[in-house]
Amino acid sequence: MIATIKAEWRKNRFRPALLVSSGLIGGVAVLVFSSNWYLATHPGAGERAVTLASLYPDHFVNNVMGAGFPLGAAMAIVLGAILAGSEYSWGTLKTVFTQGPGRLTTWVGRLVVFSAWMGILTAILFAIGAGYSAVIASANGHSITWPTLEAIAKGFGAIWLIFIVNGTIGMALGVAVRQSAAAIGIGVVYLLSVEIIAVRFIDQVSNGDYKWIGDLFVGQNSTALIGHLGNVKAVTISTEHSLLVLFGWLVAMLIVSAGLQRVRDVT
Amino acid sequence: MDNTAIVETHSLTKRYGSRVLAVDSVDMSVRRGEVYGFLGPNGAGKTTTLRMLVGLIRPNSGTATVAGHSPGDPAGLKRIGSLIESPGFYPYLSGRENLRVVADLASVDHKRVDEVLDIVELSSRAHRKFGTYSTGMKQRLGVAAALLKDPELLILDEPTNGLDPQGMAEMRKLIKDIGQGDRTVLLSSHLLGEVEQICDRVGVISNGKLVRQSTVQDLIGEEGVLVRAQPMDRAQQVLATMFGDEAVSTQDGALHIKVKPEQSTEINRQLVSAGIGVSELRPFERSLEEVFFQLTGEKQGS
Repeated sequence: MIATIKAEWRKNRFRPALLVSSGLIGGVAVLVFSSNWYLATHPGAGERAVTLASLYPDHFVNNVMGAGFPLGAAMAIVLGAILAGSEYSWGTLKTVFTQGPGRLTTWVGRLVVFSAWMGILTAILFAIGAGYSAVIASANGHSITWPTLEAIAKGFGAIWLIFIVNGTIGMALGVAVRQSAAAIGIGVVYLLSVEIIAVRFIDQVSNGDYKWIGDLFVGQNSTALIGHLGNVKAVTISTEHSLLVLFGWLVAMLIVSAGLQRVRDVT
Repeated sequence: MDNTAIVETHSLTKRYGSRVLAVDSVDMSVRRGEVYGFLGPNGAGKTTTLRMLVGLIRPNSGTATVAGHSPGDPAGLKRIGSLIESPGFYPYLSGRENLRVVADLASVDHKRVDEVLDIVELSSRAHRKFGTYSTGMKQRLGVAAALLKDPELLILDEPTNGLDPQGMAEMRKLIKDIGQGDRTVLLSSHLLGEVEQICDRVGVISNGKLVRQSTVQDLIGEEGVLVRAQPMDRAQQVLATMFGDEAVSTQDGALHIKVKPEQSTEINRQLVSAGIGVSELRPFERSLEEVFFQLTGEKQGS
C-alpha cells in the first residue's frame, strides 16, 4: 500500500493539471472576495447585496465555502476524471498493473493521494480566503476577529468532503468511459446543468411528492451542508441527511470505480 | 537453460463477444533460460495471449502458470518484467522520473533506475520529458522499465515496432544481451528475421491457434525430399504407399515427402520401376519465412 501511495504521489506532485488547479482555486477565492469587496464599496441603485462586515475574517469561512461550491466541486470532478481517465489514454494502466501491487491496492493508493490533493486545494482556498478577509479588515481599519477553530474545522471538513465526493464522481466516470475528455464533459455538464434541471423537475412533480428523490442528489446536499454551517435559514435538508447522502455517494462511486477497475480487462 | 517451464498454458482461450475468437485453446510452453519467439501475423492473437499471461485480461477458459503463479498474481508479477504493445509512461515526467514511479510500484531501490538506464543507453537523455522522446527512445525506456525488477522472465511484445532499421538492429542486440544467462525472454514478433536471429525456440500462432512450437532449427531444417514426376497422381500413390499419406503433400506442382534425403535412391527406384518418369529429385530446405507462411496459411509477398 505504501509503495502505491509513494508512486501515486511521485507521479502527481508535479502534474500540470493539479498545479494549475491549485492556482485556479486560489484565483476563485481572490475573485469572490474581490468582486464582493467592490460590490460592498460601490453599491448600486438598490439595496447593498454585500456588506463590508460580511467580508471580515469572522465570516471568511462562509465566503470560502461559497467559492468552494459549485466552482471548486466542478474542478474536483475535472481532476478526478483526468486522474483516472488519462491512465487509459496514455496506456499507463498496464504499466501500473504489471508491477506487483494488486488492482485494488493501486486504486486505494490513487484515492489516498487524490484525497490529499483535495485537502491541499481546500487548504489553499481557506488560506487565501482568510488572508484576503484580513486584508479587507485592515484596509477598513476593522479589528481582526477569527471564527472559532471548530467553525473553521467544520467548514474545512465540509468543503474537503464535497471536493472528494465530486472528485470520486469524476474518477468513476474516467474509469467507466476509459478516457478523461468525455468524463470531464459528462461530469461538468451533470453538476452544472443536468442535476439542477432534474431536481427542479422532481421537486415540482405531483406537488412535491417526490422531493425525497431530489434530496438524494450531490448538489442539493452539498448546498444544504454549506447552508447549515453558514446559518442559512431556508435549508430544508438536515445536516445529518446531507452527510449521509454525501458519504453514500462517496462509497457508491468508490465501489463502481474500484469494481470496474478490478474486473475489467485492460486492452 | 533447463527444461522446466516458466510459462505454461493449457487450452488458453479468449473470446470477445460471440463472434471474435482471439485466442483459441493455446497450449504453450516456454522453458527457463531460453529466448522464445512468439511468431504470428498481425491480429493472430499474440498480444492478447501476452496480456493474459501478465493478467491484464482474463481468459474465458483454460489455465496459465507464469513464473510459478497464476497470471496477474502479485507474487508472480514481482518476477516478471513486461513491455506489452507500446510503452505506457507519463508524458509530463522525465524518463528517469517515470522509472522511479515504476520502481516505487515494484518496491525496487532507485539505484536500479540508473543501472537500467545504462543498460538501454538512455542515461544521457533520462532527464528529458517522456513526451519529447522519439519512438526508439520510448521503446528503450519500456525495456528499461521491464528490466527494473531484474526479472526471471522478460515478456516483450513487438519491441521493434515503429523503429527504423538502425533502431531495430540496436534493439535486437539489446534483447540478445538481455537474454544471456539465466533470464528467460518471451518475445513476440511478426518479423521472421528478428526471431530467426534472436530466438532459441519459436511458437507460431495463426488465427488464435498455436500451430507449431519447436526450435528454430527444427522448424527450418525439417528434412524432406522434393519430387517432380509424371504422371503426378500415380507418383503420389506410390509414395503414399511407401511413407504414408501424411508424409506426402503437393506444393507448386511438386511432391514434398517428409523423409530423410538418404531415401532418395529408394524413392527413385520405386518410381521408375512403377513406370513413372522422374524429372527432378532433390532434398529441400525451407527458410523460416516459407515455414511461417505455410503454417499460417498466408500468401508470400501479400
